[in-house]
Amino acid sequence: MLQRDLFIILFSLFLSLSAVSGADFTKSATIKPELIQDGTKKEWCSVCGMKIEEYYKTSHAAKIHNHKNKQYCSMRCLAVDMQEYDIKLDDVMVVDVVTQKLIDAKSAFYVVDSDVKGTMSKVSKLAFSSKEAAEDFNIEHGGKIVDFATALKMAKESLVGDIEMVEAKKTKQVYPMGKNIFEKKCKNSIDINSYLEINELKSAINNNKLCGELKEGELQALSLYLWEVKRFGDNKNLDVIKVTKDEKCPICGMFVYKYPKWAAQIFYGDKRYSFDGVKDMMKYYFLHKEGVAKMLVTDYYSQNVIEAKNAFFVLGSDVYGPMGDELIPFKSQNEANSFSLDHKGKKVLKFDEITKEALKKLDE
Amino acid sequence: MRSRINFYIIEYAINSLLAQKYKTIFMVIILSSLIFLLSSLFFIKNSIKYELDVTLDSLPQIIVQNIKAGRHYDIDIEAIDEILNINGVEGAVARVWGYYYFENAGVNFTLMGIDEYEEGYKESLKKVAKELDFSSSSMIVGEGVRDVLNKSYYKEYFNFIKPNGELKKVEIGGVFSADSLLESNDVIVMSRDTLREIFDMEQNRATDIVVRVANADEISTVAAKIKLKYPSFRVITNNDLRVSYQNIFDYKSGLFLSLFIISIFTFFIIVYDKASGLSSEQKREIGVLRAIGWRVDDILKERFYEAFIVSIFSFLAGTIFAFAFVYTFNAPLISNIFSGYSKLKTTFDLAFVFDMQTLALIFFLSVPIYISAIIIPSWKSATLDVDEVIR
Repeated sequence: MLQRDLFIILFSLFLSLSAVSGADFTKSATIKPELIQDGTKKEWCSVCGMKIEEYYKTSHAAKIHNHKNKQYCSMRCLAVDMQEYDIKLDDVMVVDVVTQKLIDAKSAFYVVDSDVKGTMSKVSKLAFSSKEAAEDFNIEHGGKIVDFATALKMAKESLVGDIEMVEAKKTKQVYPMGKNIFEKKCKNSIDINSYLEINELKSAINNNKLCGELKEGELQALSLYLWEVKRFGDNKNLDVIKVTKDEKCPICGMFVYKYPKWAAQIFYGDKRYSFDGVKDMMKYYFLHKEGVAKMLVTDYYSQNVIEAKNAFFVLGSDVYGPMGDELIPFKSQNEANSFSLDHKGKKVLKFDEITKEALKKLDE
Repeated sequence: MRSRINFYIIEYAINSLLAQKYKTIFMVIILSSLIFLLSSLFFIKNSIKYELDVTLDSLPQIIVQNIKAGRHYDIDIEAIDEILNINGVEGAVARVWGYYYFENAGVNFTLMGIDEYEEGYKESLKKVAKELDFSSSSMIVGEGVRDVLNKSYYKEYFNFIKPNGELKKVEIGGVFSADSLLESNDVIVMSRDTLREIFDMEQNRATDIVVRVANADEISTVAAKIKLKYPSFRVITNNDLRVSYQNIFDYKSGLFLSLFIISIFTFFIIVYDKASGLSSEQKREIGVLRAIGWRVDDILKERFYEAFIVSIFSFLAGTIFAFAFVYTFNAPLISNIFSGYSKLKTTFDLAFVFDMQTLALIFFLSVPIYISAIIIPSWKSATLDVDEVIR
């Protein structure tokens, strides 16, 4: 009798302990992961290049062209690949969180939006083979239970936002770091175009020691830089507008070099005019519309040069340029909107939408 | 106009100074030591201000710290991902740094960890990153640190004591000098992994996060957004830091000001004493000069030359001694007013700053006042009737 009580106490203690340890849930594999791609590239996701073992519990796999196996770090990468290849839903497999084996995705139960962080996505999508297991997980970590089709639909819908979320980290941190590693370590030339997928490139760098010994994080940064930047020629235009010390704004007569944050330029053939703000540039542009070769403005956030015709302009904000109220240029709609919210902007306009009346209003 | 310099009067003035040898020497000593004290204080203040400005300019734009139980605590580097998503942020770097107390010498070292590939947050550290050997545990030390370590016979390596009591041997890979000594003198730079080992810090943790903002106008907006996302974090902008550094400096300047006022006051008392009246002997001298046919302006000129020679000589002697005292001997005693008596900071040299304004200020505080203190009483007695003076 006493023994049984003790057993129950111990058992419940064990249960509560396991519940506590469940709170720090890990997405990486705790047993030997099933990696189904061919060759040495199998360790990495074929879309984003991340190590599958580390994100094993969100991993998906699929067949393309009916035979070639591909494995992804997450449903997000599967959704990306679906845009490129015709992948049948019957061919998609997913890792069961409990058994850590690949199961048929269509029969799986997904827990979405739980407190586990998503892999390359704002929302995590974890799969379970049995409904009970999914419900247990749901009680502990929140979220809701859906089927594969719904989860995939969610992944596709949030794709644009998810890509944007990762993009900032990539451009601001990963690419510069990858470039540093490439310039410092990669003595051998790497023919990027001979690889079909990023994981092939990554396994080649890793196994052939093209760039010496690298840690996983460094390898990933290098591969991403090579695959997503260098492959397209690294032609990102990241210059600032250059103004000589004697250039005056033709509209207001002020020296432009004193206000590099606001510099804008119009090119007519070889001739160029510099302005200390977009407002003055537009005034000049409305007077001399013929023969404009290009127009450059300074992106408010990054301070890099961008084409005026592709920029978005915020009007009526509480940020003033050297000539008072300004049209403040941004390279993306998203940034312009966020600036407009922060600084009480009244309107966000594209280049073609700027009118003489709007300019006049700014000066009032 | 006979505005030419009358050399006979100058000759007379020199002879008169030499005739009252002891009095002249006494005046020169008093004046030059006052000027010496004043100018060395100004020089120290200037060079510390210069160091401060250099340090302030190299400060990061935004520092994000984790606060736990009201104290600074290690920060999770995952926050970087969120921070990078804020518009206007150019980059964010996790810093690993801290202090290490070296008991033998009673000194605190500042330990900084850097990454081989990540973009550095400071120009001076970028240079160091090129020299540092990341493949083994090695470090690059500031000049002050090298001297302290050398005294303890650590010439090639140093043993750090880890929090668990074990030793961590780190080779000295080189010595670096940055723009400002205040900043670099007590600094040790090593790889982030080595430093994490010494501080017993987890891989995904850092001391703080430094955020770069491309457009300086946006710093406050970005800081506000970080604060909104992580209410428990402490977000410090470079402006906040500037203010608090300035406060400390201003407090020290207050001490300086009190010393300044005292020395100026002493000077004025001496001047007042001189100006309040002439001895009867001096009055008689003026009377005799008048009687033998000197005009009033000749007498005043003679007095002017006398005072000018004394004060210019004292001024030059005072400032030259001050220059030597401050910049070659590093201002013993007086510099403690600013840097404090604390032994924890490794010593540093005062940077040479030549500031015309300061020299002009000292000049105008001393020379014209002394000259007027000589001339005014002479003019008073010179304009009196001769027989009244001589009688």
